[in-house]
Amino acid sequence: MKLLMALATAVALVSGVSAYAADSNSGPGKPMKMDEPMPTKMKKPGMKKGDVKKAAEKKQREMTPMIEKESADAPKH
Amino acid sequence: MKKRAMKSSLAAHSAPQIQAIERRLFLKQGLSLGALALLSGCELTEDGAVQRVLTSMSRWNDAAQGWLFNPDKLAPEYPASAITTPFPFNAYYGEDEVRAVDASSYQLELAGLIRDKKPWGLLELYALPQTSQITRHICVEGWSAIGKWGGVRFSTFLERIGADTSAKYVGFKCLDDYYSSIDMASALHPQTLLAFRYADQILPPKYGFPMKLRIPTKLGFKNPKHIAAMFVTNTHPGGYWEDQGYNWFSGS
Repeated sequence: MKLLMALATAVALVSGVSAYAADSNSGPGKPMKMDEPMPTKMKKPGMKKGDVKKAAEKKQREMTPMIEKESADAPKH
Repeated sequence: MKKRAMKSSLAAHSAPQIQAIERRLFLKQGLSLGALALLSGCELTEDGAVQRVLTSMSRWNDAAQGWLFNPDKLAPEYPASAITTPFPFNAYYGEDEVRAVDASSYQLELAGLIRDKKPWGLLELYALPQTSQITRHICVEGWSAIGKWGGVRFSTFLERIGADTSAKYVGFKCLDDYYSSIDMASALHPQTLLAFRYADQILPPKYGFPMKLRIPTKLGFKNPKHIAAMFVTNTHPGGYWEDQGYNWFSGS
């Protein structure tokens, strides 16, 4: 019964995705203007949209070796 | 002898008053220091040493919130009549700049302390047991809105991929470059979802297609959208807004 329900849900969601893909609104959004100020109230003075990408790349450089080391050192299940 | 007794009696009586004065002086000096810190504003807080102190205080705050967090306490749920229409869009970019994601090629990448790191396609994710909730999204900007979110319980997904749930953090990387992380206790909370639907429809791009984290026990910026990758770690991963000084735990 649970399997049937999961299957039915998956079918419903797949048809939803197909309909979504066919929707003209699902086309690519406008490219982000990285030099523009952020519209959110959370920003500090001077913050620009492109700052997030720069911070994400820096974080990636910092975190990746640590995560890989942790993963390698972890006992295998 | 009499003189010594008088002296000790006087000392005993004056001690509380002296202590009170010392306390007042300490408070006064503390307030002055605080006022000085506020007056000197940015320049003082730009200093590396001050930043380190503030960061360690913030971490202490996170630890206290983590300690107070009750994993069994549920966020309030609402009737359908309470849903906010339209549900507000909020991001660090405009609604017309929402990242377009190709559903057919999308894969969720996994890393860190996870047994099975194979990437997950959307159809595999949709086939997981689904649930829904009508909960309030609370933004740090001061507004809130109620919406209906559907998806898989995050704890179910973590179990399915063999995540080390004794690890401290789960981190998220998003297709719009945003990144964030949460504590494991909040990740395992029964209302924390990997959400694929909004209002019973496939999650629209503006709400985070193909997938967002819905975590009603935390503030809105802890609900990353357009998730591309996640990892389990014991290394504090921070987050974009969190690294700008917003409180990392940001939860109930």
